[in-house]
Amino acid sequence: MARPAFWKVDRPEEGGPRLVHLDRDRRLVEAALADPARFEALYRKYLAQVYSYAFYELGDHHEAEDATEGAFLAALANLGRFEERARPADGEGASTFRVWLFQIARNAVAQRRRRQRRRRETPLEIANGVAATIDVEGDAVLHDSAAEAWRAVERLPDDRRRALILRFVDEMSTAEIAGVLGRSEGAVRVLIHRALRSVARDLDDPSR
Amino acid sequence: MTGAFAGRDAAEVDALVTDRYLETLLGAHARGADGGPSGAVPPDQIRSAARRLARDLPRLHPSFLFEEALAARLSEAASRMLSPASTGEPGRMVSLADDALADDALADDDEPAHEHHLTGRPWLLGGALTSAALSLAGAAYVAWRLNRPSSDPLLRAARVVARTRPV
Repeated sequence: MARPAFWKVDRPEEGGPRLVHLDRDRRLVEAALADPARFEALYRKYLAQVYSYAFYELGDHHEAEDATEGAFLAALANLGRFEERARPADGEGASTFRVWLFQIARNAVAQRRRRQRRRRETPLEIANGVAATIDVEGDAVLHDSAAEAWRAVERLPDDRRRALILRFVDEMSTAEIAGVLGRSEGAVRVLIHRALRSVARDLDDPSR
Repeated sequence: MTGAFAGRDAAEVDALVTDRYLETLLGAHARGADGGPSGAVPPDQIRSAARRLARDLPRLHPSFLFEEALAARLSEAASRMLSPASTGEPGRMVSLADDALADDALADDDEPAHEHHLTGRPWLLGGALTSAALSLAGAAYVAWRLNRPSSDPLLRAARVVARTRPV
């Protein structure tokens, strides 16, 4: 997993020192700006993350591929407009390449959603699709567990589900999710906490 | 309450505790280790749900065919973006009609849905053409046209009249 680098800064109003992101992709971005062909390194690095996000949002492999394609083409075409704001002084507005890319992906997904003409797969089909990745190990118990977990997530309101996917699948920090969703870190923390509470209730309820 | 919890309401404190737990859990998950939380921990139910999701929501990968096809498309787009300075070639007009997807992805998510493809709209890539440059080029062209002897007798007559007319 590509965990972001951190820089400890003193933020007394936040109750003490806090961690701020530094953009680990800076060198890759600079290389791609000098030679667009080198964007490929960023593409390979983030393909699975962007695709996963799109699939969990759209529930359809083809739609997810279209959204992924649109996101990367847009990122390449507009890389010159990317402005890294990952210094400690940037505070909550911090933006790394990954956050910027996911903001583009989020827009691509939202637009695919609006245009989605095809029948959206049922939560059960998506759950089976997600769980199928675990079938490689032939573990039926894990398969059922994954399907059940996804059904609980799928029932969440959009914003809570989105925050959970970014946290658990894309392994983003609260600060990064705040950047992608355009919310404050505090709001994202509450969103995720409430989402987990709902999922916990759902998983504990055998009637669902 | 002290430290990070000072001045926060109960919901914010619970959310902060959960956030710190997740940071530990997912960090350990990424390292393939057990996440042994320290300090305040969220209720059992939330911890259990978090562990389930960390284990059961896999990251997915698209097909190899898709990955390579998109890599080729990006490579093609990248080669079109190379500036004339780096290639030694003049700038050229290219249509971005095929890149409508890219244009859409940049549009604001909150905007109302509307079709705004760039079909057939040419863009000059690899060359900076500014309004100042256009003005200079236009002035040079007019000067050249005025001084160039014309083969058209009517045009020659018109220029003679223009030159002899009092200002």
